[in-house]
Amino acid sequence: MELTDAGLVARVLVDDDQHAFGELVRRHQSSVRGLLRQLTRGDLALADDLAQDAFVRAYKNIRGFRGEAKFSTWLYRIAYNCFREDARRRKELVGINEEQWQAEQDPQTVDPGLRHDLMHALSLLPLHERSAVLLCCQNGLSHDEAARALDIPLGTVKTNVLRGREKLKKTLAVWTQ
Amino acid sequence: MNEQIEQDWLDRKLQEAAPYIEDDGFTARVLQQLPAPRQAGQFLRPFILVGMSALASALTYVLSDGGRFILVEMFRLTTIPTLWVVAFAMASGMLVMTGGIFAAMSKSNHIQS
Repeated sequence: MELTDAGLVARVLVDDDQHAFGELVRRHQSSVRGLLRQLTRGDLALADDLAQDAFVRAYKNIRGFRGEAKFSTWLYRIAYNCFREDARRRKELVGINEEQWQAEQDPQTVDPGLRHDLMHALSLLPLHERSAVLLCCQNGLSHDEAARALDIPLGTVKTNVLRGREKLKKTLAVWTQ
Repeated sequence: MNEQIEQDWLDRKLQEAAPYIEDDGFTARVLQQLPAPRQAGQFLRPFILVGMSALASALTYVLSDGGRFILVEMFRLTTIPTLWVVAFAMASGMLVMTGGIFAAMSKSNHIQS
């Protein structure tokens, strides 16, 4: 029988079982790397470096996981913190380069396909809306779980998701008609 | 398009736009970066315990005049009524069992938290 995330965490806690932690990494690597790829606007190498850092931090701080939230929510929070710290180091935190980023987008390079348009529209959202939309709409977290992961109030998450969705819908209006 | 349908459509498209990312050695790279497990200390622990026990036994033997008190006590034990011995064994068993249950419950709570 396949162990639950909680069962694997227990093995890591009790026996310092790195194989159990490896299984946790295998289970969640895709969603964590996917989230970071979106947050870093497609910088695959940086996203993978941050994801590695996030998993190593998760291992070192696994005693801090109290089981109040899902393991994936806890992991998203660590990944998001890694991203924010790195962004601070690179002085690319929210808002600072948003305008520059938007100005750099050449409309001619946008693929006509919906997926590409969607990813492009997503990348144009400000970080706080993008991260809320990614967690809630793409990764299926509840507003409450996203609030925990992003360490912001529940009301702010709801507002960010709402605004992000509205902007995406406007940008993709041609696809929904 | 209806508001809710539009929202569901958007969420579905967002989920579809995030395909599964193959591991491609990612997990192995993470595991290589993990700090060494605590196994070194755990490996030594039984040897330390056995060593300390042996040392304590040797000291007791030397300091108690060759362990003569054991023979004396053994002799005294043979004079105790059988019923007392049975009662003592049962009480000891109950005590160990209670301790074991509490330890298991404590460990279970620790894991759940």
